[in-house]
Amino acid sequence: MGGGLIGCATAWRLAREGAKVTVLDSGDFGMGASGQNAGSLHFQLERRFLENGDALAEQATRTAALNRLAISDWSSLEADLATNLHITMNGGLMVAETAEECALLELKIARENAEGLRTRMIDGHEARQIAPYLSEAICAAGYSPDEGHADARLVTHAIAIAADKTGALLRPRCRVQSIRRVCREYVVRTAAEQFAASQILIACGAWTAHVAAMLNLHVPLFPVGLLMNATERVAQVVPHLVQHVGRRLSMKQTHSGNLLIGGGWPSRMALDAEGRFTLYRPPAVIEASLRGNLRVAIDVAPMVATINLVRSWTGITAISADQLPIVGEIPAMPGCWVAGGGSAFTLGPTFARLIAQSMSGTKCEELEIVAPSRFAHLNSFMGQ
Amino acid sequence: MMRLDHGIERGRRIQIILDGERVDVFEGETLAAAMIEQSSAFRRDSNGMARGMFCNMGTCGECTVTLLPGGQRVRACLVPAQVGMDVTRD
Ligand SMILES: Cc1cc2nc3c(=O)[nH]c(=O)nc-3n(C[C@H](O)[C@H](O)[C@H](O)COP(=O)(O)OP(=O)(O)OC[C@H]3O[C@@H](n4cnc5c(N)ncnc54)[C@H](O)[C@@H]3O)c2cc1C
Ligand code: FES
Repeated sequence: MGGGLIGCATAWRLAREGAKVTVLDSGDFGMGASGQNAGSLHFQLERRFLENGDALAEQATRTAALNRLAISDWSSLEADLATNLHITMNGGLMVAETAEECALLELKIARENAEGLRTRMIDGHEARQIAPYLSEAICAAGYSPDEGHADARLVTHAIAIAADKTGALLRPRCRVQSIRRVCREYVVRTAAEQFAASQILIACGAWTAHVAAMLNLHVPLFPVGLLMNATERVAQVVPHLVQHVGRRLSMKQTHSGNLLIGGGWPSRMALDAEGRFTLYRPPAVIEASLRGNLRVAIDVAPMVATINLVRSWTGITAISADQLPIVGEIPAMPGCWVAGGGSAFTLGPTFARLIAQSMSGTKCEELEIVAPSRFAHLNSFMGQ
Repeated sequence: MMRLDHGIERGRRIQIILDGERVDVFEGETLAAAMIEQSSAFRRDSNGMARGMFCNMGTCGECTVTLLPGGQRVRACLVPAQVGMDVTRD
C-alpha cells in the first residue's frame, strides 16, 4: 500500500524474486513525497540529529550501516534499471561558519568514521578548492566523497516501470479504504475491489498512520510540511551536494542547471473543517522560511544572490516520534510491515531491498535499529 | 507564426537585436511575442528537444532571456519591446 519510492522499490525487489505483488496507490506513483523532495543523497549524519542532544546523535550514528548500504544501492541503481536518473555522486560538503560549528563537525565526523563512513574534515581553504563557489566565511566542512543527488521526478517513476515489467501489478487511483485480518490473510479493500495477501506493507508516507489505523494500530509517524525552491537554469557551477552543520540548507544543481535550495525549512500545513491537519491540500509557503532558506544559501555561496528564483513548492513528509525511520514488521500484527519516516529518498532503495528480503523470510540485522518494535508499547492495547 | 492584421492596433515598427541579429518588431508588444514571430522554439532542452514558452503570464519562467549589456534575466512574456533592446536567448 503506497506507491512512493519505498512501495514501488519493494514491489520491484519482491517481483524479481518471483513473489506475487500488487501495489495500490490512492493517486499516482511517485506523486507523494517521493516526487516532491529535494533529491539529496546525503550520507553524513543529518543536522537534525546533532541539535537534539548526545543520546539522539548516538542513536542516529548507529544508522550509519544503512547509509553505507545506501551508497552502494544508489551506485548500482541506474545500471539495475538500465536508465538515466540523473544520479550524480560527486561528493558533498557539510559546511561550518563558526568555531562552535567546526567543533560540532569534528564530533560528527569522528562518529561517522567510527562507523566506517569515509567522511573527512577539511578546512575552509580546501573546501573552496573543491568548491570555489563557497563563501570566504566557510571555515571548515565535512566532506563525503559519496554524496550527491538524483532527480526525484524520475526515480520512482522508473522503479514503478521496472516493477511493472518484472510482473508486479501496479494499481494507481486505488485508495485503500479498509484492511481486515482474516485467519492468516489480510483483506484489503478499495472502493471497487478487494485484494487478499499473506503479507502487506504499509508504505504510505505521511498517510501511514491513517492506514495503520484501519488495522487498529498506532504507527507514530507525523506529517511535516517542508519548503523547496528552484532557481532558473544557469551554467553548471555546483557539482556537489552542499549542506550546513548549523543552519538549514541543502543545495545542489540539477542536470538542467537549476539550483534546488531546501534543507528542512517549514511550511504551514493546511487544516480541515474540524481544525485538524489535512494531507489533502498542499502546505502554504511561510515567508520567513523562504527568506531564511535563501539567506543561508547566499551566505554559503554568494553567487546565489545573482540568480533568479523561479519556483517554491511545499511537500509533506513523515517524521517518527524519535526521528529515526520506522521499518519492519509490526510485532502486534505478524505479516504486516511498515516502512517510512525520515530521509527515505536517500534510504528508500535500501529500505525496500531489506524489507523485500525480510518479507521473503531472511532476517536483516541492519533493520533492527529502525524496527517498529521500539514503539510496541503504543500497540499493547491495540491490534486485533 | 501568423499574426492577426485586422482590427488590431499596434505600436510602430522598431528594431531590436535578438541573438545578435536585427529583427523588426512592434513597439510595446512583449519580447515573447516578438520572439515567437521568429521561431516558436525558444531554446533546446538537455535532450536537444525544442522548447517554447509555456504560460505567457510570468509564472513558469520558460521564456527567460538575458538583456544586454546589463545581463539582467527577464521573463520575455512580461517585458515590452523597446527601440534598441539587445536580447539573448539561452
Ligand atoms: C520537500 C521535501 C524534501 C525532501 N528532501 C529529501 C531529500 O533531499 N533526501 C531524502 O532522503 N529525503 C527527502 N525527503 C523525504 C522523502 O521524500 C520521503 O521520506 C520519501 O519520499 C518517502 O517515500 P515513501 O514511499 O515512504 O512515501 P511517499 O512518496 O509519500 O508515498 C506514499 C504514497 O502512499 C499513497 N497513499 C496514501 N494513502 C493511501 C491509501 N489510503 N491507499 C493507497 N495509497 C495511499 C500516496 O498517494 C503516496 O503516493 C523530502 C521530503 C519532502 C516533502
Ligand atoms: S512563458 Fe511562462 S513566464 Fe513567460
